[in-house]
Amino acid sequence: MNRALLIARRDLTDFARGGRLYWAGGLILVLVATSLVVGWQRQRESRAERTRAQALDYGDWIRQPERHPHDAAHQGMHVFKPEPALSIVDPGIVPFVGSTLWLGAHRQTEVKFRPAQDATGLQRFGSLSPAWAAQILGPLLVILLGFSAFSAEREHGTLRQMLSLGVSRSQLLWGKALALGGGLGLVLVPAGLLAGIAVIVAAEPSARGDAFSRLLGLAAGYGAYLGIFIFLSLGVSALASSSRLALVSLLAFWIVVALVAPRSVADVSRSLDPSPSREAFNAALDADLGAATQRASLERFGVRDAFGPGVPLSRWGLALKVHDHAGYGVMDRHFDALWESYARQQRMQEWTGFLLPTIGIRAFSMGVAGTDFAEHRAFSLAAERQRRVMQDIISQDLVDHADGRKEEHFSYRASRALWARVPPFQHQPAAAGAALARNLRSLGMLTLGLLLSATLAALAVSRRRLW
Amino acid sequence: MLEAVRVSKAFGEVRALDEVTLTVAPGELYCLLGANGAGKTTLVNLFLGFLAPTAGEVRIAGQDVARHPLESKRDVAYIPEQVVLYGVLTGVENLRFFAELATGERQTRARLLELLTEVGLDPRAADQRVATYSKGMRQKVGIAIAFAKQARALLLDEPTSGLDPHAANEFSQLLERARSSGVAILTTTHDLFHAKRSGTRVGIMKRGRLVAELATSELSHADLESLYLQHMSA
Amino acid sequence: MSSNTFVFRRTLAHELRLLSADRSLWLVSVILLGLFAFATRNGVVQTRARDAAAAHARAAEAAGQAAVVERLRRVMSRAEAPDPWGNPTDPSLVGGGMAPRNAILPTAPLAPLAIGQSDMYPDTYRITTKSRVEFMYDSEIENPWNLLTGRFDVAFVITYLLPLLVLAWSYNLVAAEREQGTLRMLLSQPVGLGTVVAAKVLVRSAVLLLWAVAIPVATIALLRPEARGPAGVTALACFAGLTAAYALFWFALAVIVDGFSRSSALSALALVSAWVVLALVLPVTINLIAAAISPAPSRAELATQTRVITIENLDQLSGKFRADYRYVSNPDLLLPKDGRFEVPDRLRAFFLAGQRLDQRIGQALDAFDASLARQQAIVDRLGLLSPAILAHEGLAAIAGNGTKRYQRFHHQVTAFHEEWRRFFGPRVLEGVAITEADFARMPAWTWREAEIDELRTSTLRRLGQLLVLGGLLGALAWAKLRRYRVA
Repeated sequence: MNRALLIARRDLTDFARGGRLYWAGGLILVLVATSLVVGWQRQRESRAERTRAQALDYGDWIRQPERHPHDAAHQGMHVFKPEPALSIVDPGIVPFVGSTLWLGAHRQTEVKFRPAQDATGLQRFGSLSPAWAAQILGPLLVILLGFSAFSAEREHGTLRQMLSLGVSRSQLLWGKALALGGGLGLVLVPAGLLAGIAVIVAAEPSARGDAFSRLLGLAAGYGAYLGIFIFLSLGVSALASSSRLALVSLLAFWIVVALVAPRSVADVSRSLDPSPSREAFNAALDADLGAATQRASLERFGVRDAFGPGVPLSRWGLALKVHDHAGYGVMDRHFDALWESYARQQRMQEWTGFLLPTIGIRAFSMGVAGTDFAEHRAFSLAAERQRRVMQDIISQDLVDHADGRKEEHFSYRASRALWARVPPFQHQPAAAGAALARNLRSLGMLTLGLLLSATLAALAVSRRRLW
Repeated sequence: MLEAVRVSKAFGEVRALDEVTLTVAPGELYCLLGANGAGKTTLVNLFLGFLAPTAGEVRIAGQDVARHPLESKRDVAYIPEQVVLYGVLTGVENLRFFAELATGERQTRARLLELLTEVGLDPRAADQRVATYSKGMRQKVGIAIAFAKQARALLLDEPTSGLDPHAANEFSQLLERARSSGVAILTTTHDLFHAKRSGTRVGIMKRGRLVAELATSELSHADLESLYLQHMSA
Repeated sequence: MSSNTFVFRRTLAHELRLLSADRSLWLVSVILLGLFAFATRNGVVQTRARDAAAAHARAAEAAGQAAVVERLRRVMSRAEAPDPWGNPTDPSLVGGGMAPRNAILPTAPLAPLAIGQSDMYPDTYRITTKSRVEFMYDSEIENPWNLLTGRFDVAFVITYLLPLLVLAWSYNLVAAEREQGTLRMLLSQPVGLGTVVAAKVLVRSAVLLLWAVAIPVATIALLRPEARGPAGVTALACFAGLTAAYALFWFALAVIVDGFSRSSALSALALVSAWVVLALVLPVTINLIAAAISPAPSRAELATQTRVITIENLDQLSGKFRADYRYVSNPDLLLPKDGRFEVPDRLRAFFLAGQRLDQRIGQALDAFDASLARQQAIVDRLGLLSPAILAHEGLAAIAGNGTKRYQRFHHQVTAFHEEWRRFFGPRVLEGVAITEADFARMPAWTWREAEIDELRTSTLRRLGQLLVLGGLLGALAWAKLRRYRVA
């Protein structure tokens, strides 16, 4: 083991002396620092804003004057999606999903106002973030440092010398792996610390422990991800007949894995399991809603149309209630099917994670940071539950107080006590443990990939004609 | 035909050539002798326009090479020590490409084959890939290119190095044919024997300077050798 | 001099022969064929889906309209009793959602080239008299993971992958000949190094552009008749020109790095780094900068303002919101009398509330458009720093899926919405019943495409920027090659 450390130290000195580590690593550090500064500022502002808006909104709800409850449902409530503390490390899908949702009568609405729609087409190139730098540029740094690990020594003849001195193959491999890890660490540890500090400081005090656990989880995931590239670079360097061939092969691998494969895999999974268009989804939802409400109305009132002449005003509140409840099942089914198709598409892609590590780390990183679709879905569901609570309270109140008035139904004014019965919206994102548990698949694929690449490296290095 | 007039070339601090003056007239075969690093190849590079002189002038057929880089190349043909050709192409294809570049005119296959036969290349090898050629065969293609160009001057770098005596002899005969038809030839070489046998004049370079210059008719082989060694050890 | 052209042509032929003999010609062609075939296929599939959705929307609108007209006939002939919430003579209901019009953005002729923003912005809006806020902030349905990942379309291949192929094929034009040894032989002939390199670049760029342009153009021209019209042909020419300029930039970069570098390995590293910076790092950084300089207004703020205005409306119109259900005892009230129809107060109040909301929130909504326009302007200016941005934005614009065209759609929809309101407003407020003839008179949606000149101008601008960049590099390279010292 001692020898491995010696080898590691020598290689590290080489890295430190050469230029590659500095300008490539320096670039990465600058990018990470810039994105953290900008992101931190933006998150601080938007969090303050959101808290204020949420409080104002609820305040306006309970301060409503006496009015017919159905009118209150037309004012409705807004709910705002909380931004997780780690979104400055990995914004995930946050730019592509909305943050504001309006809860109103009759219909489940979708979260609106995707930040990406307020951005130019450049948003589609990606968001600069520490996660982006680690996922896309990190492997490049590893390749840049590691492609010549064995091949350069072979070309200079020093590899033969070392082997003739009795250095074992595994000592060689571990020494060089340590050196690569160390060189990488020189860049990524400061970057990681910066990110970690930014997150902890920006997080709310109660959420700091959770944020810290998530950061640890991220560290593990990125460790596995970059470890894959470390062993792969070493293995290819040992196998290739020249440094140039090693570099070309590794770059080709990176291009395929980080750039080409995610998009192709996404397009393939989209063909296999397509999502409906907005038009088709709305049309299908409307049709099913119509059918369900008609059926319920027929059952309850004996007429197809609950709001038509067949149902007297004295049962208007009841009609609302029946109508809404009939809708709940339909909406659940449609939105669930849609979201399940998203989840399926993503799962399909995650399984490729052991061969295409960038897909795996992307999923894992988003999941642990709390900026993935599962989190968004949980928020949408919580919001919808809140809406149903609001709606049910209102329609029950109508049944209790307004229906009895028959023709004077709409002269009923509910008091403020009714508004106060609707609780404020509270949604906590999942705990760190739950998030980690949800993302074990991608972590597993990354670990499998790590084992595969380490095996490859070990096999490559233990060949007889290494030199 | 080939003139170097008080030519100097410095690479930073190092003076590779120091006030060298040299003329090769038509029908002369001038052999430039000297140790490695004496400046022989630098002089050839100057004639080819691969380098620009720090001082002085280099002329081919009266044209200043530095001022007329492309035109001056029309009059001179060059055969490097290693005749490197395009390995994936055949001998004829290589000859065709270089000859057409050199003359600016289309060359017929008949003429190209004629040239190759003239230089002694086995006709069967003409349509084989150059990657399979020996050094001697590649050198012959190099000469064929020079002949195709019908250049009035010829520059050669170590032409006989690496050739067996028979091949070296064949080569010398070709050079003699060229010389007697009026071509001015400048070769750099270590080969004292062939320098005396084929050359009309000999120049000895040491550390960038032309330290001796004489006609080969004035000396015997042994004298040339001792003169050379004398200059080298001084 | 004719011998110069002869020499150039010979060098071209020679280079082509070499590339085909060392198999790189075939390898590059196969790779390009595969990439562009897959990419074009993805674009065509997506465009077909959009076209089908639009056709479906039109059909549904027509059918819905016909159903409402049919209902109107039955109600007027007393064959059916009017439903107070679905009364076809009530202008507030007809305009408010019973018979909506769809505002549809048709796909541009070259839409398959670049998916652009079309997977985020919707192509169809349902226009009613309700407030803009209610229908204009929908988005297209797409898995956010896929939105994040991006699409494998022709724009992706050209922006990211084509440069890599260019660099892989031309990073050592001079260095290879030098390291191989043929450079001395070559340059001892009366041919300039610039001519040689130009011939090498020409052969390679011709092959690359043949595939990069021919496959998408041929496929799209075959499959989409609109691409064969005058606008389509101009767009195809813009596509070819922009792609060529972009490829030539990368060739120029390769040549200049090759000219200055000592070894081909160094060139390769330098060029890959340049690609990483220009195609990956700069775009995301400029995106960050544009958003930081000109951030979008706060959506939370917009939500708050919307709510405040809604509350004020509710208060001001509260008297009207008392519902009038006299029809319950007197169903005849639901039928028009002499062409007049008394719209219930509640529905009139809804109409007014929507109108007022739009009037007052209009400024806030415009602020979003303005900020986006400012960001776009920053991107357009800074785009000069990264050819990848120029190419990507240019291709999205050519495909008609760029931000600008969607903004234009957005404006036209807003205007149409106003027109719709102007038609129904007087009828609602003054109580005029809807007749069958009105259905033909209701505002019809027509999409007004921008003049093709606009596309040509913006493409030429981007092309010009690319050519300036490439030209500068090329001129430097030419100067360097002329003075190239082989030894």
